Amino acid sequence: MAYQMNGSTVEHDEEGYITDLGAWNKELADLIAADENIEMTDEHWEVVNFLREYYEEYQIAPAVRVLIKAIKKTMGKDKGNNKYLYTLFPYGPAKQACKIAGLPKPTGCV
Amino acid sequence: MSAQKAIDALAGQIDSTVASYLEACIHCGQCAEACHFYQVTGDPKYTPTYKMRPIDRVYRRDKAPFSGLMKAIGLAPDELTMQDLEDWSELLYDTCTLCGRCTLVCPMGIDIATVVRKSRAGLVAAGMVPEGLLAAAERAVEQGSPLIKPGVLEKVVAKQSAEVGIPIELDKKGVDYLVILSAMEILNFYEVIGALAKIFKQAGISWTISTTAFEATNIGYQMGSPDIARTLVQRIVDSAEELGVKYVISPECGHAYTALNWDGPNMTGKRHSFKVIHILELLEQLRRDGRVKTKGLDGRRITYHDPCQISRRGGVIDEPRSLIDQISSNFVEMRNHGAANICCGGGGGVSSNPRAEGLRIKAFACKKEQIDELGGVEALVTSCANCRNVLEEAIDEFEMDLPVVGLTELVAMYLDEGEKKPAARKRRKKAA
Repeated sequence: MAYQMNGSTVEHDEEGYITDLGAWNKELADLIAADENIEMTDEHWEVVNFLREYYEEYQIAPAVRVLIKAIKKTMGKDKGNNKYLYTLFPYGPAKQACKIAGLPKPTGCV
Repeated sequence: MSAQKAIDALAGQIDSTVASYLEACIHCGQCAEACHFYQVTGDPKYTPTYKMRPIDRVYRRDKAPFSGLMKAIGLAPDELTMQDLEDWSELLYDTCTLCGRCTLVCPMGIDIATVVRKSRAGLVAAGMVPEGLLAAAERAVEQGSPLIKPGVLEKVVAKQSAEVGIPIELDKKGVDYLVILSAMEILNFYEVIGALAKIFKQAGISWTISTTAFEATNIGYQMGSPDIARTLVQRIVDSAEELGVKYVISPECGHAYTALNWDGPNMTGKRHSFKVIHILELLEQLRRDGRVKTKGLDGRRITYHDPCQISRRGGVIDEPRSLIDQISSNFVEMRNHGAANICCGGGGGVSSNPRAEGLRIKAFACKKEQIDELGGVEALVTSCANCRNVLEEAIDEFEMDLPVVGLTELVAMYLDEGEKKPAARKRRKKAA
């Protein structure tokens, strides 16, 4: 299974998460988003970029609860809440946004 | 996988204590009303004592007095099947937070919560552990924490240390106290690390965090795997011995305290060479001794959510109240506060189990009722990172506006660090 982009292929697992994290770029993000029926806006990018920075720092793709809290801390309550993030990513802010950000599937909470 | 493995595992959990519990149930049903899962659903299958049924069947068929005779004359219960185990998986993992409220009300003194936890061993043997829990346990064993990758703790601690301007030394030998933390604190509530640094500096306490045994949560304990539970406890014990500490501080995490303090020596087979102290016990001791001084009072209308493992199961009930009294002018208590408090809904591994999410959120209605009755509560204080996380999520889900605050951080916020020593001396002279 792979995404086709400008003649090159990027492998992904059965749920659509890319397997080589280094293969990610913004074009690919747009492509994955289109696959998920999401049109990327600045608000979407804000979350995706946040996730990539988060991954850089903590080396995990956060589960939804952790994500919401982290966003609340840096971007405030208006964005760090369930409702707002589900509007952007209807099938789960953590799962969909991680996929678009080229990160692994979110790690569950403890 | 066969049911026989599960049956053997369950039989292995039946010691004289469990046997007497199983013999003692008089089926009065009082435990039903104590359980938040029963309260919100009204479904009799959530009655706590019913959750003991699988292990009870193994007991009556294979271990109870005259069970051989009963089997011979066809009066023993049927042998457990894989289907039975699957049916009970939801009851044992998703709808029991091991909160022990049922245990508290049982007129026969049956520790139902412990029997449920032990019964989970049967599901571990049958390979029926919910995916979220199993994966978390594997990561805990392999990388030292279910969520924290190697190297991350160092970064978080360094940031907190810079934030409060106090050096925090990792893996330092010869200090008195070893601090362990839950993954949730490191990832979500890292301010607690800075708070501890501030408090301990004022109290003159020498402490450290181990880079190999920093994780306080014990997923093995929650999922019912004695082997994994032992491995995780052993890791802390080894580290504490190597560093030569006198105390291990159990953090704002519920079951960590139970697993390490109450069950730890049973798991490792020897007495700890150190004392386990809960952070609230330590803070209260320091406050009483005048080593931690606070200034000012929080005027918000606040209430305290008792984490089950710390209050009901751990007995740390008075300490948080006396700490809150020191820094709050408007503290109110919920109905059933203290030992009888209602669970956040996500303890005992339930919050790590995505399958349980719907019912967990639903069960929050019981907690919400307790809070709403007080009216106008402006902040909810607690002392367990998992409670805090679960509460925050449910509060968001129910669209309430209520901040949840960790007690250690609250104490640190009101720490009296205003005057340097010489200034204080001068003032005292003046007063004299």
